Formats: sequence, structure tokens, C-alpha cells
Amino acid sequence: MNIKKKEIASEIFTGSMADISFLLIIYFMITSAFSATRGLDFALPEETDTPEIKQEDSIEVHVMPGGAIEVDKKSLPVDGLLPYVLEKLQQNPDKPVILRTDPEATYGDMISVFDRLRRANEEWTDDQGNPMFKDVNGNPLTEIKTISIPTQREIENIWNLLDMG
Amino acid sequence: MALIRGRERGTGAQIFTASMADIVFLLIVFFVLTYKVEVDKTQMNLPETWVRKKVPEKAAVISIAPREQGSTIRVSTGEEMALPVSTIEEVITFASTEVAKNPDREFILKADQDVEYAKVDEVLDALKQSKAKFIFLLSEQLTADKK
Repeated sequence: MNIKKKEIASEIFTGSMADISFLLIIYFMITSAFSATRGLDFALPEETDTPEIKQEDSIEVHVMPGGAIEVDKKSLPVDGLLPYVLEKLQQNPDKPVILRTDPEATYGDMISVFDRLRRANEEWTDDQGNPMFKDVNGNPLTEIKTISIPTQREIENIWNLLDMG
Repeated sequence: MALIRGRERGTGAQIFTASMADIVFLLIVFFVLTYKVEVDKTQMNLPETWVRKKVPEKAAVISIAPREQGSTIRVSTGEEMALPVSTIEEVITFASTEVAKNPDREFILKADQDVEYAKVDEVLDALKQSKAKFIFLLSEQLTADKK
């Protein structure tokens, strides 16, 4: 006698997979943050006990509250900053730029001036990246070599040293 | 007279869902890969800059909240959630510990654009005292119309 075997269909229940998947998508979409991952970089110099920067050897940029700037004690429009720095660096390409910010000014004021100084590379080269200016020695001038941001404590230390001298 | 109807033809309208699983899994994989825990969730308006470099992923984070939130300073190692600190000495201790572990440790400074510079100056000074070398000032992209 032939007994017909009963076939038991084996299957994985996938009905709830869509629910689980959408739940995971929603979780990751909500918790993943497209955070800002870019910014201005700068390297701090190693702290030395005797600061050797002489004021006449540098370009001093002072950021005032409201975003106005004074360069070498003379007030200057922000757009005139890079041309002024370029003119000075053409005479002496190693001149450091010292960026001092008034404590009453905002962080945004300081950053916009710092960003403008960092834009020198873009402004002083053409579309192909070739330098457009040369210094007195005939070397290409493509960037500001040193931008220093002294803190209030360092400025006070320098003044104390100068007073003692 | 009753209308004799033929066998109704089932025109079953169907939405094709077989590819849904693929799409859903693709999305899940995308979100899993791009998922990044934001260590500091302080809402603020970052300053806008034209020059922007990519910041290292695992750098330590120091954030300064907007004035309305009391300009609170928070610190994070880049792996744990940022914790508020009450004095600048705590920032120095935190940064010194990080620099001791790795002398080339990078720090990200995330500060609101309207925060007073004196506060930022304190943090930068703390980092200098801790012998930190590399600092990234987090910013948003400055658009051409504002340039």
C-alpha cells in the first residue's frame, strides 16, 4: 500500500522583517548626526621662555570689537589687509603676522580675520596654482609663513619683560 | 431578467515589493557605516570660514557654549560624551593628560561665533600651557555671497 507522505513546507517567516528593517532605518536616521567636520587648523609654537619676536619685525593685526581691524596701529578696511601684508612680505617674506584680538571682541570677529589671512594662498596664486608675486629675492610668494595668535597671558608676559628691560 | 455574468476576471493591482528588502538593507548599511556619535551636542552657530580643512576623527573636543547658555566649557576625549567643566584649571588638567598620552594629540575647538574672545583666549592659553601642538577651529563653510 502506498502511503502518501505529507510534505511539511519549511520556511522562514519574513513577514516582520520589513518592520524590523524600517525600525533600524529610522533609528539610524534620527541618531546619526551630520556634524561639522571641517575647520581652520593651526599649530601652536613650542613655548619658549624668551620670546624673540621684535615688534618692528612683525605685522601686528589687532581685531577690535565689531570686527574692525588695526594693522600696525593704523586702522584699515578688512579688504585691505591682504594687499598690505603682501606689500610687507615682498620686502621680507619671513615677517610673522601677529593676530591680537581685543577680549571684548567676539570669536567670530577673530575667526573672520584669521580666515582672511589664511586665504592668502588662494589670492596670491592663479587658477593653475602658479605664484603671482615674488619677493625681493625673486622667490615666489604664495603664503604667510607664520601667523601667530598670542594669548593675553603671553602678551602680558612680553610687556613685563619689556618693562624689566 | 437577471444578468448572467461571466466569471469575473481578477485584475489584481499589486505593488512590487520584492526589491524593497534590498533597498532597505542598502539604507541600513549606509547608515551603519556613516554612523558617528557626536560627542558634543551643544547647539551653536559656528563661525563661517572660506578655508576649511578636514578635522581628525578621534581628536579631543573642547566646546564653548553660546553666551545664552552661560558660555559653558565642555571637554571630551573624542570617544566619550562631552562633560562640562567649571574652571579653566580643569581644562589644563584634561589637556595635559591627553598630551601626556600622545604628544601629537589634536584638539578641536568648537565655539559659538558670538562668544566673547576672552573665553576663547583662556582655552587657547590652557592648551598652550598643556603643550598641545595641533588645534582645529571648527567652522561652517562661508558662502561666496558672504565672502
